[in-house]
This record gives sequence, structure tokens and C-alpha cells, in this order.
Amino acid sequence: MARVYQVPQHAFIWLMTGAVMASLPHFLTGPAWLPLFVITTQVWRILVQRGRLRMPAKITRAVVLVGAVAGTLYTYGTLLGPEAGIVLLVCTFNLKLLEMFKLRDAYVAIVLCYFVIATALLSRQDLLISLYVFAVLGVITAALIGINQPEANIRARQQLKYSLVLVLQAMPLMIFLFFVVPRVPPLWDLPIQKKGAKTGMSDSMAPGEVSSLSRSAALAFRVDFKGEPPPPEERYWRGLTYSWFDGTRWSQAVPNDLPQAEYMAYPGERNRDWYREVQRQQVGKKYNYQIILEPTRRRWLFALVTPFTEQRGIAFARDSRLINADPVRDVLAYRVESFTEMPRGENIPDWEKAFNLRLPEEGNGRTRSLAQRWRTEAGSDEAFIRKALSWFREEEFYYSLEPPLLTGQQIDDFLFRTRTGFCEHYASSFAFMLRSVGIPARIVAGYQGGELNPLGTHLLVRQYDAHAWVEAWLPGKGWQEFDPTAMVAPERVRLGLAAALEAQNDESFATFNDLVGISGLPLLKDFMSALDYAEFQWLKLVVDYDTDAQKGVLQKLLGDVSPMRIALLIGAGLGVVAAAMGLLLFWQSRSVPLNWWEKEYWALYKGLQKKGIPVSDDLGPLALARLATAHSATSQPAAKAWLRLYNDAAYRTAYQDKTTSGVALSSEDRRNRLKLRKFRKEMLRLI
Amino acid sequence: MPILDTPRAWYKRWLRRRIPPSQSVTLNQRRIFILPTGYGLLFLAVAAALFIGGINYENNLLLTFSFFLASLFNVAIWHTFRNLSGVTLQAGGMREGFAGSAGALEVRLVSHVRHGHTGLWLQWPGSVEREVSVKAKEQQAVWLDVDLPKRGKVFAERLRVETRFPLGLLRAWSSVDLDHWCLAWPRPIESVECPAGGGDDDEGEHSRSEGNEDFDGIRPYVPGDSLRSIHWKSLAREQGLNTKLFSDPSEGRRWLDWDRLQGLDPENKLSRLCWWLLELDRSNNPYGLRLPDTEIPPAIGPEHKQQMLRVLALYGES
Repeated sequence: MARVYQVPQHAFIWLMTGAVMASLPHFLTGPAWLPLFVITTQVWRILVQRGRLRMPAKITRAVVLVGAVAGTLYTYGTLLGPEAGIVLLVCTFNLKLLEMFKLRDAYVAIVLCYFVIATALLSRQDLLISLYVFAVLGVITAALIGINQPEANIRARQQLKYSLVLVLQAMPLMIFLFFVVPRVPPLWDLPIQKKGAKTGMSDSMAPGEVSSLSRSAALAFRVDFKGEPPPPEERYWRGLTYSWFDGTRWSQAVPNDLPQAEYMAYPGERNRDWYREVQRQQVGKKYNYQIILEPTRRRWLFALVTPFTEQRGIAFARDSRLINADPVRDVLAYRVESFTEMPRGENIPDWEKAFNLRLPEEGNGRTRSLAQRWRTEAGSDEAFIRKALSWFREEEFYYSLEPPLLTGQQIDDFLFRTRTGFCEHYASSFAFMLRSVGIPARIVAGYQGGELNPLGTHLLVRQYDAHAWVEAWLPGKGWQEFDPTAMVAPERVRLGLAAALEAQNDESFATFNDLVGISGLPLLKDFMSALDYAEFQWLKLVVDYDTDAQKGVLQKLLGDVSPMRIALLIGAGLGVVAAAMGLLLFWQSRSVPLNWWEKEYWALYKGLQKKGIPVSDDLGPLALARLATAHSATSQPAAKAWLRLYNDAAYRTAYQDKTTSGVALSSEDRRNRLKLRKFRKEMLRLI
Repeated sequence: MPILDTPRAWYKRWLRRRIPPSQSVTLNQRRIFILPTGYGLLFLAVAAALFIGGINYENNLLLTFSFFLASLFNVAIWHTFRNLSGVTLQAGGMREGFAGSAGALEVRLVSHVRHGHTGLWLQWPGSVEREVSVKAKEQQAVWLDVDLPKRGKVFAERLRVETRFPLGLLRAWSSVDLDHWCLAWPRPIESVECPAGGGDDDEGEHSRSEGNEDFDGIRPYVPGDSLRSIHWKSLAREQGLNTKLFSDPSEGRRWLDWDRLQGLDPENKLSRLCWWLLELDRSNNPYGLRLPDTEIPPAIGPEHKQQMLRVLALYGES
């Protein structure tokens, strides 16, 4: 058998570190058997390097590979698609470590390693993973340098240092390309399925569901305002509306026979009558902002009321919401313009009115009769609404994250017995009352509030900001918002959940504090907000740098964007990088400067050459002096003196200080240099 | 001269014009060529695959990663080039050998610049590669084997200097003619009859000069004395290095004579003279050499042997 290639020890360290680091992120997304597979192969590889084990035989490798394929097939049911592909890639890469018989195999393993770590970016794009990938790049590149350095007595640290130099030098061009290389639309559609349950709002709501969502401090989305953000009590982030009530549960619904064109309009479908009518009324206070939504695996998007966007793939829905064409699997950024005081739906069709009035035939009789009595007393819809809201405010209602369970006729039970509830209890019973007296009403679910990051202008909206409120349709006024929870716990909308629970003296406040945990500590809080700020900027500037953003950058750079100009810009950028690298190279490749006695040597060398005496580089000063004497005996005394001075300068000075270049000459040196020059001239004159 | 040049011949002539033969060549942008290696192309293919992935999943970080790989490749071009640039190759010493076997030539690598040169591979076409690294401002010497197909001066082909350091993605190389030759002694061919005149004709008198046959006392060692005649016992007695004195054998010194070999072509004659020269040296017989144009008086010892071999090797050459 031919000699097996042995990866040099200094390179092996980086190769294995890179392999471990590149495989690690895939443990979180891959199947449970993947870590086992990876760790086994890597431990085996280390034992091979140490001479404890041998590389597995071909047949063993084949069996392991078949095992990996079978495992992937078992986990995903297919070998196609990105998830299965990534798992197979990670397995093959680790198996390749055990098939290293030639230098070639080491190269292939390292190139695969770059691929493996790159695919980690398919499932996550946050700042943390990006920094991690960057670190892995440094390590893999060090391994690549290592296998190109076969000498044994090299310290592994040098390679990492060199690798970091290379990686840093690669940054400018990378950043330039990032900004200017035109983004092309996707070539094919092969969505990536990601692990993890759907989080956040669901498309229906029953008592107790929003409050359970509020037990999470996970991030829902970030909002970046152009200009001042609205005050806390106006931050109602609408996500979806529930129009269907079955007695306990509110659900999102549209009439069965309604064509999609009647309630959704994508950009490019904006010529529909109902949409035109909405657009006509763009008046009132305007907010311009960008939302960066964490993956929800749902299609609805969150925004302030009457949101407009021109972003591709986002539809405007008739109930003043935004809907994405696909479930949101990755962080999604979208830019919105909201008109908060715009009248909505002054003339709605009869079907919409009827749809938002439907109630079950039976049930919750006490509530119905109470509402009907008030309506008769009040004389108008507006007066009725005021009456009902003041009732919530004045009666003994409590706001709690842990309300008691409701039994039987749920709304009656809540309004007349428990009287302790979370936002969904109040919204649900209020909407029920409105419908029971003939006022069209629906529930809106979304988030309310948001915490301003002290470093930036952006808001953080977390799951515990989840909220539900009510919209009622009034003739001549259209859809109006009402929040019965704000009547019970005004702190909720002004100061947030924590303040509301504290003000209510509710025991669930303790639960909430546990939730926030140690991140509530002042110093850590500052750190977290700094981290959040960095993360937010990362998401905004890098992860969501899209065609539109690119257009903006290119317009700033070029004025008028045309393919020709982009090509020229890329060409110019490459030219600048090439020139910079060339300059650096030139700078580093300068010859070592000559000492004064070395210059003297070359002066004699050239002098002899001029006299027609054949000289060559490999002659030392002694040989030069002898050459001179050989051509003319009379020059001997001068040559001797010259040589003595030369040797004295070269050896004594070199002994005193090795780095003589750049050091000022002493007066003795200067005298010697003059003498040396004199003897040289004399020597050459006599030839 | 062929009417149509082969591309190879054309390339050789072009190379000769571009990098003319010289005993000392400093590699610079005129003399360095650079192209991606197979791994470099694989690396770029991975970058391209990631670019397509990035486009397809609208994943900016994947795109950035592919830009990074492309950018790293670009940086590698400069670093690979720099690794070779600024090194001076100089023709050094030689180790002769017999025609048909191998000799060796020394190549000195000198760095005059502020960066080192790591992992340079030196090779004559068709022979074994040698790897060498030169630190900044230092020098290194490498001995490279040379095949010696024929007697005389064997000029080395162009020396290929190549490096793939640091990343192995690119290969920078140069092909330099160091105007370097190795001397090939004649291939020894055994012959029965010694082509030498015996001592009885020329030197009948039994002289008391430093012969080789009978031990006749010792004298202090002078450089050039054969190691075989060193008096080791006196060295062991700490009396210094001494050489044994012999009185010459009765037949006296031998003259290896070109003219005694009749009916042979010159190369064959040289080969036989060479064989006998080695044989006489082995048996400690002083020998001289008579060639049509040269005459070397008899003597014995390694320096003498070297000189004789050199004369045979250079016979007929300038």
C-alpha cells in the first residue's frame, strides 16, 4: 500500500477545531442522531492521528455512509430538499475526515468544511451566528494554510495569525461586493422547513390563550421609526381580526363564498374598487416605520392601523391589515406607512355588517338582556358604548395574568361571577355585548406597547405585549377602536404589562418577574439593550439589505442606476482593491536597505565592472579587493586599507547592533565611511 | 530546423527570451506566472454554489459568505505571488557523477526582501521535487539530483520553482535557467588489459620516493594524502596525524595511456581509462595519464583522482 498522507500536527489541530465548530450549529437543527454520528467519526479521526486506530476500511466507510443516508431518509422521508441535503453534507464531511489518504483528501475535506459552516446560515442569520461563522472561517483557513506548510517545526498559532490576516484582507472586497452585486430574483422555490412550533398569535382565541402567550419574554418584532414613535397608549399593533364567535372561541373568518379579490390586494392588484376607496382616505397623522418580524410561521404581519406598503409579496387586507404571501419562516423586514386617524370603512357592504353581527342563537342570556336594557336606556350606539365602558371602569373588575377558570355560559360567568380576567376576557365580552345590540363588532388581536431601546430609536415588542381589543362599526364613522382592558387597568396601555400587574396588586406579578428573570438587573439590562441594538442594526443593514435598499445605495453612488454603470462600479471597485493589494505587496517586498558599508561594497563592485573586470554576485569583499590587486599591484596598499576598514565596520557594527538600518551614524562611522570611499577611489584609479 | 514549430518549442523560445539564462535570477512580476489549481477551481465552484443558494433563499448572509470566498481567493492570488516574489536563485556547487548515473547541483535561494518564502518546490523536469522555505533576509541551499546521460558537461534544464502557499488555491511558478552544469565522468568499462606503461621501462631505478608498496616510515600529514595511507596508530598515540611512507613497487608508477587503446572510439577509450584509474586508485598504485592533448604525472590520493576524473570528463570539451 502506498504511503498514507499524514496531516501535519499543526494543521490537524485547526482541521479538527474547524470540523467540530462547523458541525456544531447543525446539532440544533438536525436530527438527534447527528451529534452521535459526528462525535463518533471525529473521535475516531483523532485516534487515527494519534496512531491508536487505523482509518476505517472501504467497506466500513461504505456501511457508515449507507447508515447516514438511511438515517436521513428515516428522519425526513426524502433525500431531496435543503434540510436532508444539509444533514447528508454534514455526515459526508465528517466521514471524509476518515478517508484521508492523500493531500487531495485533506483539501476536499477543508473545502467541504467551508460549505458545511455556510449552510448554518440557512437556518439562522442573527449577529451571534454571523460572528461564530466568522470565527470558524478563521480556523478553517488556518487549517488550509497548515496543509500547505509541510514542515514539522511550525507552531499552530502562526497559522491562525496568518489566517486572520488573510480573512481581514478579504473583508473590504467582500463588503463592496455585498453592497453592489445586483440581487437576482430566486431561481426556484424550495422552502426550508424549520424546526420549532408556531409562536405568537393564532388564528383563533379562547379565554386564557392570550394570557398564556404573555408568559413568554421572547421577541415578537422590532420597529424602527423614521421620526418620533407614537406615545405608548397609541401603540396598537394589529395582527389579525376575529369575526366568528361560537360561544367560547373567536376565530378569524371570511364568508365562504367571498372571492379573494374582495378582501386582499397585492401590489399590482390595487385597482379594485374597495382598495381605491381605502386609499382615497389617506389623511391624518402619518407614521413611517420599518418592522423586523421574527419568524412566526404565519402569514399575518403586524402594523399600526391602516398600514400601506409597496413591498413585493405583501397584500393589504380589507380589515386594514397586512398579509404576507408565504408563512414568515425567516426574519422579515417590511416598511410601512400608517395613517392612524384615517376614517375606515364608512360604507361597508351589507355582508360585512351581517358577518360582524353574528352570534350563537342561544347562550349568555344575562349579558344579552343587560346589554339590551342599556341600549334602550342610552338611546344611541355611542351612548351605549360609553355606558358599557364606564361599567367596566367602575365595577369591581380585576386584571390578572392568572384568571380563574370559566364554566358554563362563559361570558355570563365572567361578567357576573369571576370578574377577574385578561385582555381576551374583556375584549370578548365587550364585543359580545356590542353584537347583541346590533352594533357590528370584531376582536383585534396583536400587540400593544413595546419597549424603546435606550440606544436607538427602535421599539422592542415581546410576546408578553400580546393584546386583544375590539373594533366596532358605527354609521357615519366606520370602524372605531375600543379597549375595555384599558378601562380596567389603564396602566396596561400606558406602562405595559408589568406596571399593570403591579398596580392591580395581582399575585401573577411574581410570575411575570420570574419571566423577566435576571435580565431585569440594571447592569445586565444595559448590556442586553446594547446587544439588542447591535442585533437590530445587523438585521436592518445586513440581513434585510434587499433590492430596494440596494437601489438606494446605488443611487447615492451612481446617481442614475443602469446596468452599464453598475458594471463600471464593480470594475472600479475591483481595480481599487487590486491597486491596494498591489501597493501592500510592493511595500512588503521592498528590498532590505543596505548599510553604509554594504553600499560601499556595491560601489566597488560597480567600479570594477566599469573597468571591464568580470565580477559576479558571489564574490565577497575580500575577493573584490584581490581582484583589484590582481589587475594592478600598485593598488595593493589601498585595497588592504579598504578591506580592513570594511571588515571592521561590517563585523564590529554588526556585533554591536544587528538592526543598524535606520539608526543614526556615529561620528566615527561617518569618518570611516569617508576613509573607505577615499581608499576605493584610489584603488580604482590605480587600475 | 523544422518548418513548423511545435508549441513546446515555441514556448521554450519564448521563455528563453523572457527569462534569459543567468547564474543568478531574482523572481519578479516579469518572471512569475500564476494560475489557479484544481482545488482553487473547486473552491470557486463552492463559492458559486453558495451564491446561487443565497440568491435562491434570498439569504444575504449566504451571499456574503460566497463573496467572502471569492474575496479570499483574490487575496490568495496576491499572497501566493508574493511568496515567490523577491527570492533570488543562484547557481551553486556541483557534485559530479559517472555518466549514466546521477550527479547533483546546488541551488542557493536568497531572500533580499522583508517577507519569507514558504514552501517553495524546486524541480528539474522529470526528477524528484524538493521543498524549501527561506526566511526573510536569509538564505538556504538545496542540492538537487541531476541525471547524467552522457559524459562531459551536462547542462541542467530549466529549473521549475513553484509554490502553492498559503492556501493551495493558486500555483505561482517560474522556470529559470541558472546556466548550471554538472560534470559527468566517463562511465567505467572494465577491460582485461591495463592500458598502462609499466614502471620498468620508464623508471628502472628503485627510488626512495614516497611510493606505495613497502612501509618505509612516517612523515606528517599534508592535505591531499590518501586516507588509506594515514598512520592511525600514531594518531591513537596522540602523536598527531601522520602519513605512512612506502617505497615504490618494482614496476614503478604507471602511465594510463590513450594511445595504448587501439581500435576503439574515443568514448570507449575514456571509459576504459576511467575503469583502470579507479582500479589503480583502489589498489593504491600511483598513476599518471597521457591523453592526446594532456599529460598528468603519476601520483596518488583523492585530489589526484578528482583531477584525473575531471580531465577525462572534459576531454574534447572546452
